[in-house]
Amino acid sequence: MTAIAASMAPATPRLALGRTGTAIALLLPIAVINAIGFILPVLNLLRMSFNEALAGGGVREAFTLANWTGLFGDTFYVELIVNSITVSLGITLATLVVSYPIALYLHRSSGRWRTFLTVLVISPLLTSAVVRTYGWIALLAEQGPIVSTIAAMGFSPPRLMFNTTGVIIGLTEILMPYMILSLLAGFGRLDPRVEEAAMTLGAPPAKTFWRVILPLTLPGIALGCLLCFVLAVSSFITPKLLGGGRVFLLATEIYDQAIVTLNWPLAATLSMLVLIIFGAALGAYARVLRAID
Amino acid sequence: MMHQTIRSGSPTVPDDRGVHLRLDGLSKRYGDAVAVAGLDLAVPKGELVALLGPSGCGKTTTLRMVAGLIKPTDGRIVVGGHDITLMPPYRRDMGLVFQSYALFPHMSVAKNVAFGLEMRSLPKAEIERRVKEALAMVRLEALAERKPRELSGGQQQRVALARALVIRPSILLLDEPLSNLDAKLRDEMRNEIRDIQQSLGITAVFVTHDQVEALSMCDKVVVMRGGKLEQVGTPVDVYEHPTTPFVASFVGRTNRLEGKAHGDGRVTIGSSEIRVPGRPGGMVEIMIRPHRMKLVETGSGEDVAAEGMNRAAGRLSRVTFIGDLLQYHVDVDGTEIVVEAASDHGRGFRTVGSTVTVLWRVEDTMVFGRSA
Repeated sequence: MTAIAASMAPATPRLALGRTGTAIALLLPIAVINAIGFILPVLNLLRMSFNEALAGGGVREAFTLANWTGLFGDTFYVELIVNSITVSLGITLATLVVSYPIALYLHRSSGRWRTFLTVLVISPLLTSAVVRTYGWIALLAEQGPIVSTIAAMGFSPPRLMFNTTGVIIGLTEILMPYMILSLLAGFGRLDPRVEEAAMTLGAPPAKTFWRVILPLTLPGIALGCLLCFVLAVSSFITPKLLGGGRVFLLATEIYDQAIVTLNWPLAATLSMLVLIIFGAALGAYARVLRAID
Repeated sequence: MMHQTIRSGSPTVPDDRGVHLRLDGLSKRYGDAVAVAGLDLAVPKGELVALLGPSGCGKTTTLRMVAGLIKPTDGRIVVGGHDITLMPPYRRDMGLVFQSYALFPHMSVAKNVAFGLEMRSLPKAEIERRVKEALAMVRLEALAERKPRELSGGQQQRVALARALVIRPSILLLDEPLSNLDAKLRDEMRNEIRDIQQSLGITAVFVTHDQVEALSMCDKVVVMRGGKLEQVGTPVDVYEHPTTPFVASFVGRTNRLEGKAHGDGRVTIGSSEIRVPGRPGGMVEIMIRPHRMKLVETGSGEDVAAEGMNRAAGRLSRVTFIGDLLQYHVDVDGTEIVVEAASDHGRGFRTVGSTVTVLWRVEDTMVFGRSA
């Protein structure tokens, strides 16, 4: 059988693609999908941002900078942009601080225990962000367990919901799995022997952390922060629900403009602005990576 | 074996002169598994001591307990009269060189070496001066600004050595430092480490599974097996006068035979009889080093049984040329005996299958009683 197969092999026409050819052929389907599903709509959005908005949701084909100049001339929008970036950075930092110890512990554990913990860390992703946000509404509500416990201890009950605090708490928890997985992916350079070397050279645990562990985990930190920042800027449901209409962020404003006010050109302009912020974040990430190396 | 519990509180211990590092009944158990079982050892000041043994014998565990990276289950570690059993590693003042080098990948060579000095908060000028000195000692001044990954394995190991020595540690600990280097580099580094250790007069513990390293570099060799000491002695002692069959076979090559001793210096092995030193009785293990044996052609006139010589006749089954040595494999009554001879320009090959006689001195015959 094998002899026959071998003798027949040269007869079948071979696709003379070569290495590069094969790579292009394999990449073609996703390239087509990306072109149709992502690049074209984004270009369309870019075009839309230069159109003129008419009252009542109409759009007139034009080429005007009115949307862009209007955006930066209006203090409401400038504040909105600054607020969005600050809140997202805050969420990213909070997520990093609470995720880092978990990721470090996971990195050091092994065997079945590690598998179990990893599943535990990822499991929140099995529930939709909407459900988890409603969970937080129940927990953070005025008569909820957290606020009433604080009140019972004799402190004046804080407002944890329908404000920026609520949005930060909710999004931090929702983004944690992404942060932990990114950190773990970037912890490859962390070798327990290197930590031991630092200790034998006289570095107490805290110094070992700041001088050795933290610098070696920077690639993971950068990756996790990039991912969580992007997700925080673009997240919409959690700020909408936990912000209670009182927290104004780019994503919620885009929704309002596109769906409620029906000002599509403005929504498109805001969307392009978010894309520019993402581009800046990617640029910062690349710079950080280069600095680490 | 009596196990001492870990003592703390009384930091000073009656001084024994000259002893720098002492292990008292040091043990490490992981559940039911015993890694190190009641180790007693005294290392004099300025000596280089090898912990030698096969993997899993507890030598690395012992070293890591001395460094403070593993907590002992039992026993004490005493350095210069101070009990340091419970001291954290960062206060122990020991220089540890890892098998995997364990350099800080994000720091330059100079920064790696400076790390221990920075932890001691020394003035900047002094740190700079001592880093320079340390790098000069390992001949790496030119590479001070390189990152570890830009260096070869041997260079990385020299940085690790400089980093461990620059803090002027009380004891230098080396954990298989040469295992990841190729053979030629290993020989070089062996001499380099020995030279540096002697010029600094530093007490050092060297963990290795390579008997050549242990014999050639160290003042004293500690052979370990199954978490216990098998023999402690000078390299010559351990090689020439092994006290157990394990040491005889682990340190250097040996031929191993079994026989029945008659209590008068005679031992019967199979159908032949040999003489051994002393008057052992019962079942015995016989070990003879291959290079202590001589191969002669049967009937050549050299094969007469001289006084104080043992002889065995056999058939030459194989000759292996390994450069400086020729190894003759001789089949004596179904037992293979290896005889080594210096190879002289490739001469000395004998015809495989020919009948030969193996001669060796009675005093070169090592005898061990068999307990079982």
